[in-house]
Amino acid sequence: MSIRNCCSLFKHITTFKGSLSNKFHTSVRLNQLHNTSDKQSLKHKIRSTVYYVTAAGVLTVGLSYAAVPLYRMFCQAYSYGGTTSTGHDVSKVETMASVKNRPIRIKFNADIAASMRWNFKPQQHEITIIPGETALAFYTAKNPTDKPVTGISTYNVIPFEAGQYFNKIQCFCFEEQQLNPHEQVDMPVFFYIDPEFVEDPKMEFIEEIILSYTFFEAREGLKLPVPAFAR
Amino acid sequence: MSSNSSMAMQLIFPHSHSQKSFTPTPPEKGSFPLDHEGLCKKLMVKYMQCLRKNDNNNSECRKESQDYLGCRMDNNLMAKEEWNKLGF
Repeated sequence: MSIRNCCSLFKHITTFKGSLSNKFHTSVRLNQLHNTSDKQSLKHKIRSTVYYVTAAGVLTVGLSYAAVPLYRMFCQAYSYGGTTSTGHDVSKVETMASVKNRPIRIKFNADIAASMRWNFKPQQHEITIIPGETALAFYTAKNPTDKPVTGISTYNVIPFEAGQYFNKIQCFCFEEQQLNPHEQVDMPVFFYIDPEFVEDPKMEFIEEIILSYTFFEAREGLKLPVPAFAR
Repeated sequence: MSSNSSMAMQLIFPHSHSQKSFTPTPPEKGSFPLDHEGLCKKLMVKYMQCLRKNDNNNSECRKESQDYLGCRMDNNLMAKEEWNKLGF
């Protein structure tokens, strides 16, 4: 076959990239080319194609790693998917108006982990509050042992969807608290329900919210389900 | 096979895809330091008595909760804050 036929045939073949048999043909054709400058430019084209494909692969892998923090930032900025924004305004507490015709019962629950030796209970079973009004609630923890015990707590709000309207101004969770032997302390929780709660159609029939705190013993390497921005 | 089981799951647990999982958020002002000496315990008891008298209605006991928080602030158990910033 003449060289020109070879080259034109080769051009047709290279348009079908990624086919094994074509790759075989490519290498076969490559060997059959006698014109070295054509061979060089061909090699150059193949090399640049390989570079582009590799770069695309690296970009995809990099994007998939970068997507995790980027997505988290996006979610927090726009409160998408149930996450609440970390930059929660204190000024909101000043300006929020209480909604008097929508009383909500908040029930309190206290739990300890199986190995935790504190006695932990709420001081009140329930409180009736209205959205937009700050409220105070107490838990009591007692260390009946002879050694100081350090605990760390986390909380849960049921129903889950109401959790986004439940704002804690100050509490005792996510930080280690140490109790000396035979010591009893009061642990307050200062919170409010966002007035926007009344405007959410999904919250229309919710009259009761359960706030549940669980204490774990703080040990080296204990990993609580604490959100990253709480650390 | 997996599509059949996922369809079955959707019949048993509808809306499982749309259910948002709860994410606990840290408190705005952080954690209350522990009142080891019980300096504000009396005011806490007063607040509890008020709640019991008023059928656990928080709106009636705002004064007592304000007193308790004031005690905390006075005894360095809470960062001082203006009352309107705390919703009073």
